Amino acid sequence: MIYTVIKAIFIAFAVGIRNIFKKRMTLRYPEEKLEIDSGYTFDYKTDTGSPGFKGRHILYTDKCTGCSLCAIACENIADCIDMVRVEGNWPINERSIMPQIDYGRCVFCGFCVDACPFDCLFMTPEYELSVTDKRKLVHTPFQLAVFPEKKGTVKLVPGKRGAHHD
Amino acid sequence: MQVVDQGGDKMVLHVGPQHPGSGHFRIVITLDGDYIIDAKPDPGYVHRGAEKMAEYRTYIQNIPHLERPVIIDATGITLPYVLTAEKILDVEPPERAQYIRMIMAELNRIISHLYWLAIYGIFLGHSTMFMWPMGDRELFIDLAESIGGTRVTFSYVVPGGVRNDIPGGFKERALKTFQYFEKRIKEYEEIFFNNPLMQSRTVGIGILKKQNAVKLGITGPNLRASGINSDTRKDEPYCFYNKIRFDIPVYKEGDSYARCMVRLRELQQSMDIIRQVLDRMKPGPIKHVIRGVMRGEPGEAFVRTEAARGTMFYHIVSNGERFPYRVKISVPSFRNLIGMSHLLVGSRLADMPAIYWSLDYWPVEADK
Repeated sequence: MIYTVIKAIFIAFAVGIRNIFKKRMTLRYPEEKLEIDSGYTFDYKTDTGSPGFKGRHILYTDKCTGCSLCAIACENIADCIDMVRVEGNWPINERSIMPQIDYGRCVFCGFCVDACPFDCLFMTPEYELSVTDKRKLVHTPFQLAVFPEKKGTVKLVPGKRGAHHD
Repeated sequence: MQVVDQGGDKMVLHVGPQHPGSGHFRIVITLDGDYIIDAKPDPGYVHRGAEKMAEYRTYIQNIPHLERPVIIDATGITLPYVLTAEKILDVEPPERAQYIRMIMAELNRIISHLYWLAIYGIFLGHSTMFMWPMGDRELFIDLAESIGGTRVTFSYVVPGGVRNDIPGGFKERALKTFQYFEKRIKEYEEIFFNNPLMQSRTVGIGILKKQNAVKLGITGPNLRASGINSDTRKDEPYCFYNKIRFDIPVYKEGDSYARCMVRLRELQQSMDIIRQVLDRMKPGPIKHVIRGVMRGEPGEAFVRTEAARGTMFYHIVSNGERFPYRVKISVPSFRNLIGMSHLLVGSRLADMPAIYWSLDYWPVEADK
């Protein structure tokens, strides 16, 4: 009895010590960033999406018609999309209104992307959205139109010597 | 809840709602010396009226909304909702969509159980057991993220199917992760579950007898730890669980240790299920396309599924409008809460965290 107890304690210690020599899993975040391949997109014709990360939106301003379907889809979920007037000449957008997204409210469900019938609102792998001023969380249509640069370089790999970021 | 002066050498102790060991939840415990003579759970601190709010949302808008009660088991709570809504809307999802739903449901079960294991480890004073499951959970979150797009709240299952197909190379990644994690489960056992220090705090503590478990209406892993072979995946198969071979871990001791072991074995079972599903899946459509506004036929439907914490039951009544007329959710956490006061009475105060967390009680889910 006492022998099995001591043996079990020794095994527990041995497992802990063995793991000291394995690679660390910790992601050193500001220096290393996770690589994310693509953002979530949706094909309205087949009504199916493509797998991807649901991060900040990307708005193709030349395709947007101002139909407000994204804002209607967001109703009762987060109410974060407002249609705002945009300066300039937009041939297919008569009222010159485009979505403006409040990321203080957005839950990143992506149902606005599913609702867009003109393939102009998608999602990108951009996830670093923190700002120091609360008002800057509201992204105007022109801010949404900028495609984010790719930042991440490492991936989480389960290997023989422990899971690590590579 | 009123606090009554007990007099004598009895003491009333409020555990929670700010206590890190209780979640957003309070238990009023009456102590006689070191022994708990009365325990009154006081839930409701995070009640948001999810059922009432669901009456003002369409069938699609309800999906991100109903995830909020259990964000760590998001598919576990949205899958039964979608299955119920499909009965109301009268749509049949394609075969591939059913399989993908099973993958997501089982991945979510693993994610949820690993989260529980981390919390259970830290409340028994074992910080290694907090770090390891939290780290390994990241691998499964990665897998789920590659399908669902976000880390925890996927909003992935919709009436008619699923929103997108699984990405290319998912099978290889998943199998590699499972191979790694199976080794880790052995290490978990060696450092934590077979550890006499952990066993001395859980074996024989908080025993829930078979007849009491039935009488109190306990569900899920807690019920299976009391020796009752009951799992909704086997009893009333939904999706394609009837085509998959898997065992349900059942322990007959009914103590805290048995409840831990059931969850540990379920991790292995969930991985076996995903492996079989990946082998059985055939290419095909993933969605039954519904154009226009979803309007259900007047009528009602109900579905039971097995979420990470136990049986999740949905009852939706529709009167033909865009919004459901009534959405009733019977959540496993609330049903397991009934067992808590039963288990705590008669045990020592020091055993309270070991009993409390072995039930895997999630206050937000219980309060809805």
